[in-house]
Amino acid sequence: MKRWKAVLVLCVLALARPAVAEESDVTTDDATREAYAQPIPSLPESDRAEFFKGRSLVRQVWVIPPSENREIAGLGPLYNRFSCIACHAGNGRGFAPSTAQEPMRTMLVRLSIPGTDEHGGPKPDPAYGGQLNENGVPGVPGEGRAEVRYTEHAIQLKGGEQVMLRKPDITFVDLAYGDFPPDILTSPRVAPPLYGLGLLQAVPEADIVALADAPKPKGIKGKVNRVWDAEQQKTVLGRFGWKANVPSLRQQIAGAYVGDMGITSPLFPDENCTAKQEACRHSPSAGNPELSKAQLDASEFYHFALAAPRQRNTGDKQVKRGSVLFKQAQCSACHVPQLKTGEFAPLPALSHQTIHPYTDLLLHDMGEALADHRPDYLATGREWRTPPLWGIALAQKVEPRAGFLHDGRARTLLEAVLWHGGEGTEAARMVENMAADDRNALLRFLESL
Amino acid sequence: MSKIKWILTACLLLMSQLACAAEKVVVLSSYPQEVITQFEAAFEQAYPQYRLEILWRQSRDAMTYLHQPHSAVDVYWTPAQRNFEVLAKEGAFRKLDIDLSGLPKKIGGFQISDPDGYYVASETAGYGMAYHPAELRRLGLPVPTDWKSLAAPAYSGHVVLPIPSKVGYAPMLVDTLLQGYGWEQGWSVLEQVAANANLADAGATFISDDVGSGRIAVGMTMDFFAVSAIANGKPLRFTYPEKVGYSPAHVAIFRDAANSEGARAFVSFVLSEQGQKLLFHPDIRKLPVLPAVYAAKPDGYFDPFSAAQRASYDYDLATGLKRQELVGALFDALITRHHTELKAMWSAIHQAEQKAPGDPRLQEAKQKASWLPLTAAQSNDAALQQTFIKHGSRSEALEQEWDTEIAEHYAQATQIALSISGAQP
Repeated sequence: MKRWKAVLVLCVLALARPAVAEESDVTTDDATREAYAQPIPSLPESDRAEFFKGRSLVRQVWVIPPSENREIAGLGPLYNRFSCIACHAGNGRGFAPSTAQEPMRTMLVRLSIPGTDEHGGPKPDPAYGGQLNENGVPGVPGEGRAEVRYTEHAIQLKGGEQVMLRKPDITFVDLAYGDFPPDILTSPRVAPPLYGLGLLQAVPEADIVALADAPKPKGIKGKVNRVWDAEQQKTVLGRFGWKANVPSLRQQIAGAYVGDMGITSPLFPDENCTAKQEACRHSPSAGNPELSKAQLDASEFYHFALAAPRQRNTGDKQVKRGSVLFKQAQCSACHVPQLKTGEFAPLPALSHQTIHPYTDLLLHDMGEALADHRPDYLATGREWRTPPLWGIALAQKVEPRAGFLHDGRARTLLEAVLWHGGEGTEAARMVENMAADDRNALLRFLESL
Repeated sequence: MSKIKWILTACLLLMSQLACAAEKVVVLSSYPQEVITQFEAAFEQAYPQYRLEILWRQSRDAMTYLHQPHSAVDVYWTPAQRNFEVLAKEGAFRKLDIDLSGLPKKIGGFQISDPDGYYVASETAGYGMAYHPAELRRLGLPVPTDWKSLAAPAYSGHVVLPIPSKVGYAPMLVDTLLQGYGWEQGWSVLEQVAANANLADAGATFISDDVGSGRIAVGMTMDFFAVSAIANGKPLRFTYPEKVGYSPAHVAIFRDAANSEGARAFVSFVLSEQGQKLLFHPDIRKLPVLPAVYAAKPDGYFDPFSAAQRASYDYDLATGLKRQELVGALFDALITRHHTELKAMWSAIHQAEQKAPGDPRLQEAKQKASWLPLTAAQSNDAALQQTFIKHGSRSEALEQEWDTEIAEHYAQATQIALSISGAQP
């Protein structure tokens, strides 16, 4: 019965999917460098003030306490960057450093040790916690620095084109709280884009589960992650983060505030200091919590209301052809073109919308080359959540150095495709072996998103 | 022997690591993230031996921070003119011993750098008008060419004016009008523009959100808010008034800088050709203070040094800074708290002008409408300025007096105008 339902959902999704995206009240036509910062067109006038309030928080550079400006104080004691847009420039994605000398400005490294925490999530390193914070407020040593070096290898495509792929290797220097244990687990992550996330939260859980259960082309599976919801205090479906390791936008935002900037919130009221970080634990706080409930509400609302860019150049012949090839190469088995939102009380304008995010929000084995070997709830070290592709073609317009894949190793969309392994191996091989014209058409299609 | 060799090798390795570790340069700033991002990346690339550590504080908070003991900061780099002036007087800075050749201390008659050399302008912004061309066309309104253009009744409801007591950059905007036109005429222009305007209490957002979307046709603002929005795709244009006012940002090295070499490197970078050209970035769009870089400016970029050769005036920065709070309080009394009455009064005067342009009572109505509780000389009174800087019962009492008198004058002006137009006997 369950399997029939899944088949039905998949059929409906496949049949309903047109070659091009439809007009909608929840996407934006803006294709400028501000494309990722637009509210949904149907945002009620009465909600604009809350949207702008959230926007100013996302753009705010935070202040180290103590400060006269209580409402924007709370940075640190340990932190990566001092504002949301320091990593998510223009609300877009980050990039990986080009050289070992270049600091990680829009990227961080998650840390854990083997085993799980009390909720089944990654077990933080006892000295450094769950991620490396490179900076500390005055008097608190930053935790250390991660350096990226690359080794390159070439991929030969049918037709003679050669593509260089760079594989990152991370080393750690200036570790201030002692050496890492030999079995430390690390996972570098670039900042993901911020738009369209409200719509993804509005996709009913049942639809995501049905996608996991639905039959797929040979070799492709897809599974849901089950993660701890700090607000509901129970395990629920995960849908945000590179490993679908976060259950809700609110938790994603509050987690970034405390993890990346050291700003406590009603959801995460404790500073990000481990028991071994003495100076950190004695550093002044700007309040308890530092981010008020009203500020967290506004930040969440802003993210809910950010529109996803609408597909462009839909009448272009190559784009149309690329859309067909996208399906033929099995890309759409995981990058599911169309989903539907359900009832969404926090922002009713997002309810019952047909959207084209090109994701199934599921975990897939992406092979050894992309593996971080760091499990995260049900996600293994080889599994990653299918990242949404909507708006992806504007990434380097918004941030010219924007990188693709979880660690930003891919400098172009083609590189990102060629890195696909595991369940994506067949798709990557098909693209490699496509005639050059077909491959160009496929890329034109991706560039229309 | 081998043990000694091992120790020596270990020492050398340690020394080389120490030599390689980037030294931090601590910079206090209130710049938005977009500016910090560009300068941080470019500086660290140009000077890999240093790593920038930004301490972010708004102007007032910065002063509190700097007056604490052990506030270890190397460089102050921010748009906060008064802080630089105060800190220089307190002896907080060291004289800049870097090459400042090619960096003028003035734009026309507008002083931008410290004459004594303790702090120097690092960029500037100009005041002017952002407008939505399509909306102006739709309304049949001409593109404004000067602040006075916006006083025309046709612009009623289509202008936005920031409130100086609420919006950080607005006090200087208002003062450039007061010094550009003179005290009485400046206030008169401001009041007539305000009668046409919506008042904004939030800094930059009204430009991209309201003018950028065409909800409002014209906004009085700083150039870079609009020019950056234009560079990022907003359908806006920006125009400067005949006499342009500027708001420079500055950079200085603290006397007690722990990393004075790093501080000098950063200041030199900010003022270098490379640093100045970063100001052309679409996310920044500030005006360089190094005239030489305008040779490489993007198309249509404003060059204040060229503009100053065409029209300029002697703006006294010290005067503007000292009376900032006083002018802000007067603006709130004349405009913010009496906005409804102000609009009704000027509407009535414009109707009267149409109905009976030669009526001798019009002059009386306008005199009442333009009445000011303070003269220019009083606005420069140091004791009175201090009253409003401290803001207490004395300033509140004065504001109440002003409110009463302003309300009376506005009511009288309105009544005279209505009687001319026959709307009231």
